[in-house]
This record gives sequence, structure tokens and C-alpha cells, in this order.
Amino acid sequence: MKQLLTGNAAAAWGARLAGADYVPAFPITPQTEIIELLAQWFATGEMGGRLVMMESEHSMLTAAAAAAATGVRAFTATSSQGLLYAMEMLYTVPGWRAPFVLVNVSRGLASPITLESDHNDILAARDSGFLQIHCAGCQEVLDSVLLAYRLAEDERVRLPVIVNLDGFTLSFTREPVAVPLAAEAAQFLPQYDAKNIRFRASKPISQAVAVLGGSPYSYFRYETHLAALNAVDVYEEVATDFAKRFGRRHAAVECYRSDDAEYLYFMIGAFASKAMDAVDRLRETGMRIGLVRPRLLRPYPVNALRRALSGKKAVAVIDQNLSMGKGGVLVTELASALYSEPGAPLLASYVAGLGGRDISQEEFFEIAGELRGAHTRGSAPAPRLLYTAEELRELRKLQAIAAVEREEIGGRK
Amino acid sequence: MINVIHRMKDLPSTHLLGTGTPMCAGCGGLGGLHQIYDLLGTRTVFVNAAGCMTLLAAYPFTPFRGSWLYTAMASAPAGAQGVRDALDILLEQGRMPRDEDLTTVVITGDGSAYGMGLSATSAAIERGLDFIYFCYDNEGYGNTGQQSSSATPHAARTATSRSHAGRKKDLFAIWAAHQPAYAATVIAAEPLDLAKKIEKAKSLRGPRLILSLAPCPPGWDFDPADAITIGRLAVRSGIWPLKEYVDGRIVHTNRPHPRVPVEDYLKTQGRFRHLFEPRRDETLLAEIQARVDAYWASVDT
Amino acid sequence: MFRIRIHGRGGQGIKTAGRILGTAFFRAGYEVQDAPVYGAERRGAPMFACVRAGREPIRERGLITRPDLVVIADDTLVGIPAAKVLLGIGKHTVVLIQSALEEANWRTRLGISNPILVLPGRALNQEAGEPLAGATCAGAAARLVGTIPRETLAQALREEVSSLGAEILERNLEHALAAFDAVTANAGIVVQTAGTAASDYIPPEWINLPFDPAQLSAPDIYAAATSVEVRTGLWRTMRPVIDYARCNHCAWICSTFCPDSAIALRADGAPEIDFDHCKGCLICVAVCPPHAISALPERAVPATQPAREGS
Repeated sequence: MKQLLTGNAAAAWGARLAGADYVPAFPITPQTEIIELLAQWFATGEMGGRLVMMESEHSMLTAAAAAAATGVRAFTATSSQGLLYAMEMLYTVPGWRAPFVLVNVSRGLASPITLESDHNDILAARDSGFLQIHCAGCQEVLDSVLLAYRLAEDERVRLPVIVNLDGFTLSFTREPVAVPLAAEAAQFLPQYDAKNIRFRASKPISQAVAVLGGSPYSYFRYETHLAALNAVDVYEEVATDFAKRFGRRHAAVECYRSDDAEYLYFMIGAFASKAMDAVDRLRETGMRIGLVRPRLLRPYPVNALRRALSGKKAVAVIDQNLSMGKGGVLVTELASALYSEPGAPLLASYVAGLGGRDISQEEFFEIAGELRGAHTRGSAPAPRLLYTAEELRELRKLQAIAAVEREEIGGRK
Repeated sequence: MINVIHRMKDLPSTHLLGTGTPMCAGCGGLGGLHQIYDLLGTRTVFVNAAGCMTLLAAYPFTPFRGSWLYTAMASAPAGAQGVRDALDILLEQGRMPRDEDLTTVVITGDGSAYGMGLSATSAAIERGLDFIYFCYDNEGYGNTGQQSSSATPHAARTATSRSHAGRKKDLFAIWAAHQPAYAATVIAAEPLDLAKKIEKAKSLRGPRLILSLAPCPPGWDFDPADAITIGRLAVRSGIWPLKEYVDGRIVHTNRPHPRVPVEDYLKTQGRFRHLFEPRRDETLLAEIQARVDAYWASVDT
Repeated sequence: MFRIRIHGRGGQGIKTAGRILGTAFFRAGYEVQDAPVYGAERRGAPMFACVRAGREPIRERGLITRPDLVVIADDTLVGIPAAKVLLGIGKHTVVLIQSALEEANWRTRLGISNPILVLPGRALNQEAGEPLAGATCAGAAARLVGTIPRETLAQALREEVSSLGAEILERNLEHALAAFDAVTANAGIVVQTAGTAASDYIPPEWINLPFDPAQLSAPDIYAAATSVEVRTGLWRTMRPVIDYARCNHCAWICSTFCPDSAIALRADGAPEIDFDHCKGCLICVAVCPPHAISALPERAVPATQPAREGS
């Protein structure tokens, strides 16, 4: 039975159906609806356990991981500056090997401080040891939270997972979402068993102790990496089981009309559905183009990406993020996966959609044209920010208002 | 269970904290912890903030016979929150027998307690978290070589100050302002006073502070053998008042009378040597004494 | 290149020794690297300093694994496997040890045929509370390499030790120069060596790290009080000795004040010190009401007492 849910509500439903026992929380736009809903459900008894308001995301993440290390199923959510404020713990707790799920509602980072979505926040967590699942719709958000717990708690993995959704474009946007029955969700995701990594009076344990010396340290760090790599195969198993039970398959790498495609869009997150629409329109013109959208970014599904992209003529990588002094993060990672692969496509790099800036259909079409040109030319176009002359004119008007002081110190008009 | 402790003789004679820790010889922090651990017992989980005691457990060695979790410098109380809440949830839902429950204890140095961790601590008290908060206060960032912290006393030499300009924050008063279940100052040099306070803390629930002054041989520059003597002088000079906050009242558990001059305490430590050599700094000595006198004048009325 | 490792304990001036030697080389016209290497442990715990010196810019990094000269500032470290005083020594490596024992004695104990030089008695000063062991060793090492003039050593000491005050500098100078003179007969005994040759090396036995489940590969300890396996008694330079004839059997006092849980009660109610773990802080000596505990230098402990390395 479907109902209209925002991305935030879908995330909250995911936590509720996962039977999350414990939610340490701290509010930040655009995540607040998640914790407000959960607070309400704990209050009414629709969820068992408790939500505790913390005083910071740093504490929130510590509490979530500590609860997981004690053996309960923990859930929490944040966004943007909050994720950055928690960053020390974000890098710390995967090494505890205490699984839990963190929902991040993507929002651009300061400076300048802003509210709408891009992916720089979540990509700052890229090397933390958290696994990452990226969603493009509200249904995916709910389903991914359930998938994330199965993945996180698997003995071959045992790592925390971030489920990412775009602020505003998903967080505040309602879509029809099939909400699984609680009993079916519970069958898919049985109660968490922490095994012997948990605090009990009869079984003393010292957790997360210091490890001195590069050799043992290397071991512990690399084991966490190996566990993350295991998650590629484990995800396939989990996603297959999910599809069997609920009829929805969420591949690690979603491919849309890409099998016979010569050209591809490559992107993550909610705007990918706009790319699907562009694919359909371009197909009508006879262009063989498709979309490849990795849902799993950590672990990086290298083989699936190679299979999906090898032999294509050119791929437009649309990065809604920016590594200052380098460019898009996704294109950099993809290039490393494809380097020296036979039949590796040309990669065209576009930075777009920063801080909620739209990507128009015309822009998708224009990108497709550039891909064709790149193939004809045999070389990729220079990386660019999608930005129009009209936008710059509008910006100049703002600058004119802000520029009084600048003119006084001799700047140009 | 509450033990009745009247005399030194009643103190535990078997010690729970394992030998072989990497703490310095004569460590006043370890001196406090080892006494406290005997009284709290092994049905405990210590949640550790970054500090000297980060290295209490270094793989594969731990001195604890109960449990421990290392967190980070700023968020040990939040770690305690997560552990406590998880245990409560497991108990409420009948997923864990009662006898598997643990007392949650934060263990932190003054660097975290007075500074980086203060926000997390304040919030945990405000939430009424049921935990014991043990701070070993060696009045500086000891683990990194005794740079000044906001627990460093006025005029102390540290690795970053020739004569510390700040005036030690009153962490006990900060706690008392939160109206916690309990707060007490202790020192390893007064084990009977310490033990009585631990027993009282054990009988209560909610946020409970045990603030232990921790004479630090390398940080304060004194011979390790003098650690207890210096601790006693801290109490007898009145510069470290032994007191507790319970039921909304502050009670002094030891009123040194007569108080020895505070310089008797200061001159035992290299960090105050500049107050005596090459010549006595009468102004600063008088000022420090006057502050101690003013404190006791205010509480003696 | 000269590769020199100086072993001692935290608090014996070993870091300074490395700096003195490094500065002396530098002032003598060498390219230099010097660095102390600490573990997690504290005052009294084994540590060492590395000094490299050569005529070409030095590209090696980190700890010295093939030393040309090993200096053992504290002979009690020899019994501590974790101190690794002989790590990576080759046939040519000179071993300089500060000790009251004879060279022949050390040759037997160490079981090596390398050149062994003993710096005798007077330098053993750390027990008097002064970290002179380091300066002494630096002085001797400077002479053994054979290319550092006496005045250059003195200049290095002035650069590195002056900040501690004129009096301390004076004592350091006295010890370092005396040690420099004492080993004159062996000036130049330390030879410089080249690094590992690319044409002749033992390949590393690389493996692909296997995946281990979290129960094994999380940094967690499931056993209680494993720290007792750490012999912190090895830090001790002074030993508390109980005169049981004077002991009041008020063992709760010394046992409570011992911060290291290293004093237990015997069946008869008297205290017993765990010398495997006693760090020698001597708090028990200070607090004992009948003054029944006295402090004895470890080196003066009669052979009938439990061995320092643990009983």
C-alpha cells in the first residue's frame, strides 16, 4: 500500500521498520522532520526504546556508536555542517566495528553558508570507513535504510552505513512510497545480535583501545578496509533478498537504458531522475544514451562500474560537489576505476547543482551534444561549471548592491 | 551494596586495577583511580576521554577487570549516554538480565573536563544521565607535556606559560550550578574521605562528579615519592577544599584548622619555584594566600 | 654514514644526548639527522635516540635498524627484550655500555663477538636525580667516531644544555668531556657503512592480509587485567625494601597509597611488594608510619633479592 511521504518521512519510516531502539538526535535543516517524527513515534509507543536530544552532532554520533557497541540497534540523522561537526567521530567509530545507520540529508557546505543541496558534505565522509548508499527517490530512502542495517550488521562487514538523500529535492518532497508491513520488515531484518562485541557485566571487554606501532595499526586499519570491500558482495545478497521479499530491486549500480547506449550520464542523487528523463527525450531523437548511477559509493563497486562503462564512447560525469583545486570528486574516482581498462570511454567532467542550483533539461541535452562532439574529436572537453550568462548577469546585480564598499576601495564596477 | 567505611583499616585490601599500566611512577591520577576502582568494582564500564589515561588500555593490555570504551576528547559523556541508554533499553525490553547491568563511569582529565568536554558534560548533567564522572585533575594537558589548561592554577609554570595568568576554573561550582545528584572533590592522599564519598555516590543515581586533584610528578615537577605528602599539603593549606554537594547543599568534609600557609604547598613543586627563586615574589604569594583565605572566609560564615 | 642509536630510559637525558651528538656532528661539518623515539610509556620507561651523520645529504628516515654504534646508557635495559638494545647489529657494530661490570662480563651476557666498550662507574648518576647519563654517552660516542674535536663537543653541549642553567651545563660538560677523554684509546673505532645494496638484499616476505571477522580484528580486549603482563618493574631504578622487623602490619596504608596496585597483603597481614610491577615511585617509603620501608638503588640489591628482571 503506497502513501505520499517526504524523503525525510521515508527515512524515519525506514528507522521505524528497522526496529531501531535508540536515536540520539540533534536538529539541523533540512533533517529535522526525521527526528521530529521519530520523537513522536517513541512518545506514542509506536517505536520501542528512546530518542535522546544531544547537544551536538559530535556527541550524537558518539552516543549512537556507543549504544551500538553495547548491543542495541541505533539510528541517527544529520546534514551538512552537522556532519562536519561530527567528523572526528565519523572517522573514529567505524574502527569500533559497531554497526548502525546514519541518514545524511545532503546540503551545501559553508562558506558561504547555505541551505540547499549538494554532495560536498557526504563526500567529506568518503574516507571515514562508513559505507555510503545514495538515494534518488523517496522509496529508495526507506528501502535503503532497511538494506543498510542488513549490510551493516552482516558478520562479514560490521561497519556503520550512511544513507544519503538530497536536501529539499528529496527531504521535503513527497512521493508515493510503498511502506512495508512491520512483520515483513522484521523478517527481512531480525533483531540485532552484537555477538561478543558488547558490554555485559559477565563478559568484560575493553573496546576501541589504543594501538601503538605502525605494524599493528596497519592491520586494524586494513581489516576495516577489507570489511568494507566485503560489502560489495554482501550488498548483492542483501539486495537480492530484498527484491525477493518486496519486489523492488536496488542495484549497487543502477543502469538506465545503458546496455545498448553509446553515451552515458553518470551521477548520484535525486537529480539523476532528471537525467533519466533527458535520456528518454534524446532516445526519441535517435541518440543512444543512458544513465549509470552508483547507489553504493563506499565500497566503490569498481567491477560493476567497469562493466557498465567499458565500450561506451563518452560519459558525462555530473558532480554536485567540488574539490577546490581539483574539480569533481566522482569523475576523479571514476577515472581511477577505468584507467587502462580496454574500451574505457572519454570522461567529460561537469560540476553542477551546487547549493541546490538546478540542472535544466536543456543543459542535459547540451551535455549530450558535447559528448557526441567529444567522440568525434577524440578528446574530452575541458571540465566546466554549468553556469549561464543570465546567472552571471543576475549575480552582478547582487554584487552591485553589495559593492558600495568595494567601489570605495577602488574595485571595478 | 554499601560498605561502611569508618577507618583506613576498612578500606579494600585487594586491588582490582591491574598492575602494569603505562602511567608515570607516582601518578596522582592513577592513585585516585586505583582507590576508586576498588570501591566501584568490576561491574562498571569506564568511558574514557582523551588524556593521559587514553593509554591505560593499549592493545593488548588493559588494567580493567570490568569494561572500558575509549571515545575522544570532547565526547566521553556522550559515550556514557549511549552505553547507559542502550543498557536501559535492553533492561526495559527484557533483552538482558538485570545482573548483566553495569555502572557507567566517565574517566577524564582536566583538559577535557574543564575545556573541550565541558559542553558534552553540561548536557549530560542536564539530561540527568545516570553516571559517575571521574576527573583526574593534574591542572594541565599532562599527556602532551603539561601545557596550561583552564584547570591550571594561577602563577603555575607550564610548558606554555612562565607564570600562568589564568585562574583555575571552579569545575565543582559549575557542576553544582547544574544541581546534579552529587558532586565531590577528593584526593588520593585522603583515602578515607575519598572512600566515603565514593560510597555515597554509589548510593545515588543521576549525574555524580568525583573531582580528584592529581599531583603529577613530571607536570608539577616534584619527586614521585612526595605525591602523597603534596596531596596532604593541598588539603591542609586549604587550596584544595574537600567538599561535597548533595541535596542542594555544599558541605566541607575536611576543614583544615589551622591551615598551613599555602606556600608550604607551593614550594614543594618546581612549577612554583619562580615564586621563591631567585627571590621571593611576595606580591604573588600574598595574592595566592589571600584567595585561599577569602575562600575559607566565605564558607566559614 | 654513521648510524648511532642511544638507548636509555625516559628521564635520563637520552633525547638531549641525541641532540648533543647531532649538534656536535653538525658543527664538525656533517649532514645530520637526530630524533628521539618514544613509546607510550613514561619516565623510567625504555626509549632511545637515533643520530645519523654523513658527508652527503641524509635520505634515510625513521629508526635506525642497522646501527654502527649502539650506546646503552643504562645497563639494566639489557635484560628487557622490549628495549631491543641489540636490534639489527652487524659484525662491525660497536657496543658502548655504561656499567659497573667489566667488559668480559658483558661479552658473556650479550653473547656477541662485537667490539664492546664499557664506560665505568662514575657516570652512573641518574640515581642522584640528574639526567647525566645522556651527556656522558654523547661525550663518549663523539670520541669513538673519531672525527669530532673536543672543543666541538663542548660547543654542542653549550648549545643544547645552556637553557637548563649554568650549573647544570657545567656538570654536563664535566661528565661529557671526561667520557670523551676516557675512550680516547678507541677513537675512530666506529666505522661508517653504506646502506643495503640493491643487488644483494633479502626480499620482504609479503603476504595478502586475510580478512578477519570483527571479533578478531576490532581493537578490543576480551580478557581482564592483561596489563599485568607488562613488567613495569623494569622502569625502577630505586627499590623499596620492607624491614619486616619494623613493619606494623598496617598494610592498608602502603597498599592504598601505592598508585600501581603493586602492594598486596600477605596472609599474615604484612605488605608484600610486587617487584614485577613496582615502578619505584617510593610513595610507600614516604607514607610508612613506622618508617619500615627504605629505598635501595637497584644496582645495590643483593643477589638474594628477587632478580630485577622479574622473579
